[in-house]
Amino acid sequence: MLSFILVILVSFVFTGVVIRTKSIASGRKGPGIMQPMKDIYRLFRKGAVYSETTSIIFQIAPTIYFSSVVMAIMVLPFGHTRGLISFNGDFIFFAYVLALGKFFSIIAALDTGSSFEGMGASREALFSMLVEPAFFILIGSLGILTGYTSFHEIFMTFHFSTYITYAIGVLVTFVLAMICMIENSRMPVDDPKTHLELTMIHEVMILDNSGFDLGLILQTTNLKFAMYGALIANLFMGNLVWYFTIPLFFMFQFLFAITVGILESFSARFRMSHNAQFILVLSSISLLVFFVILMIMNKF
Amino acid sequence: MINILLIVFTITLLYFVIANRLITYVNILAFQGVLLFGVAFFELHEINLVNLIFILLETLVIKTFAIPMFLRYVIKKNNITREAEPYLPNFASLIIVTLIIVTTFVVSNVINDPHLNKIYFVVALSTLFSGLYFITTRKKIVTHVICYVIIENGVFILSLAVGAEMPLLVNLGILLDVFVSVFLLGIFINKIGDVMQEMDISELNKLKD
Repeated sequence: MLSFILVILVSFVFTGVVIRTKSIASGRKGPGIMQPMKDIYRLFRKGAVYSETTSIIFQIAPTIYFSSVVMAIMVLPFGHTRGLISFNGDFIFFAYVLALGKFFSIIAALDTGSSFEGMGASREALFSMLVEPAFFILIGSLGILTGYTSFHEIFMTFHFSTYITYAIGVLVTFVLAMICMIENSRMPVDDPKTHLELTMIHEVMILDNSGFDLGLILQTTNLKFAMYGALIANLFMGNLVWYFTIPLFFMFQFLFAITVGILESFSARFRMSHNAQFILVLSSISLLVFFVILMIMNKF
Repeated sequence: MINILLIVFTITLLYFVIANRLITYVNILAFQGVLLFGVAFFELHEINLVNLIFILLETLVIKTFAIPMFLRYVIKKNNITREAEPYLPNFASLIIVTLIIVTTFVVSNVINDPHLNKIYFVVALSTLFSGLYFITTRKKIVTHVICYVIIENGVFILSLAVGAEMPLLVNLGILLDVFVSVFLLGIFINKIGDVMQEMDISELNKLKD
């Protein structure tokens, strides 16, 4: 319950911090931290306009996309406390509930009949498909290391004892952060600021959404950021008591938001053809983590 | 600590696969030199001082500074194209190199020899095979030399695994560097890049005596 409330709270300010970091890095003052939330609130008060060529899928997709991410957030633990939903193998549930939301956003984009949106949907599907092995190998290897299969128990028993676990921690953090950037279609693979439909990935899929639906999709992006930030924070919190973990959690989210902002300000996006190989590197790195863990456990 | 350095060394191999520019290749070589310096420094503290200083100087001075600087100079002097231009797309190369690493893990597991230091064996062998693979898929002569240095780094790691008992073997591994410098001098003196415009090995097919 605690993690659910905290992630929702953080999601209100996460994108604001990212945008503020980007503005400061480029020498501007920038909008207030709550500005993205104000925009979303404005969108929530509007009605939606639906194209005549679309079917019911297009109308229910944003809601399913939003609720799938909310469902995934419920799985996340917070230090000692379990998530709202917690069972053995819940990381598989986590990944596939997110995949369900993504599936609906993809078929909704195809439903509009626009050629641009189909292209964006195809790219998003490809990138999500390439990200999936990285995520599963990573969490699976942590499962082997700790001997448990639910997020709560994995994070509770994962300790930073020897220097090799620090190396694993750094690698896992890097891969999770990159997975977050790819799933949210941010800088190394996609530029949220782009204005050309041909080079868009996520933005082109939501071109036809308006009003309330667009607000839901934008808020989902915020939630996703906060969700992956919580996953990374959990890795380091272990079984500390709550008055350490809550400030630690906010600090990690804040640092993560600043990192995202700095990454977006100072890096150029890859050429579209280079994206696939970059995402595959993440899988290779998680394979390395897997082998290192096998080596620690003396199983190989 | 050695394990972390060796893991980072394997990641540099993956980075080498997706890098596009020759300068990146050279920088990776320099970084690998630093990593090898770290590995040698932590591994070889039991052999005599002169030998140790010789090896550390070799990794730091030759591998990290001399060879990369000379490579940069050669690339600039011979007007070699800055793109690497592999035959295969990087995506396929990445899968193959990952498979090479996985296979060496499996092989070292099958051998299962108590005298074998597994992580050294895996990193050295995967470096060797990836280096060979890089040579076969890159067009330019300079890239061949760069990939040869990578193979040679693999041999160095393998010799370090037994270096505590046999320091002579490490010194023998170092002799390969001399070989590389002969290659480089050959390219430099013959100005292959200038003579043939494109520094491309397919041009060498036209050579006749």
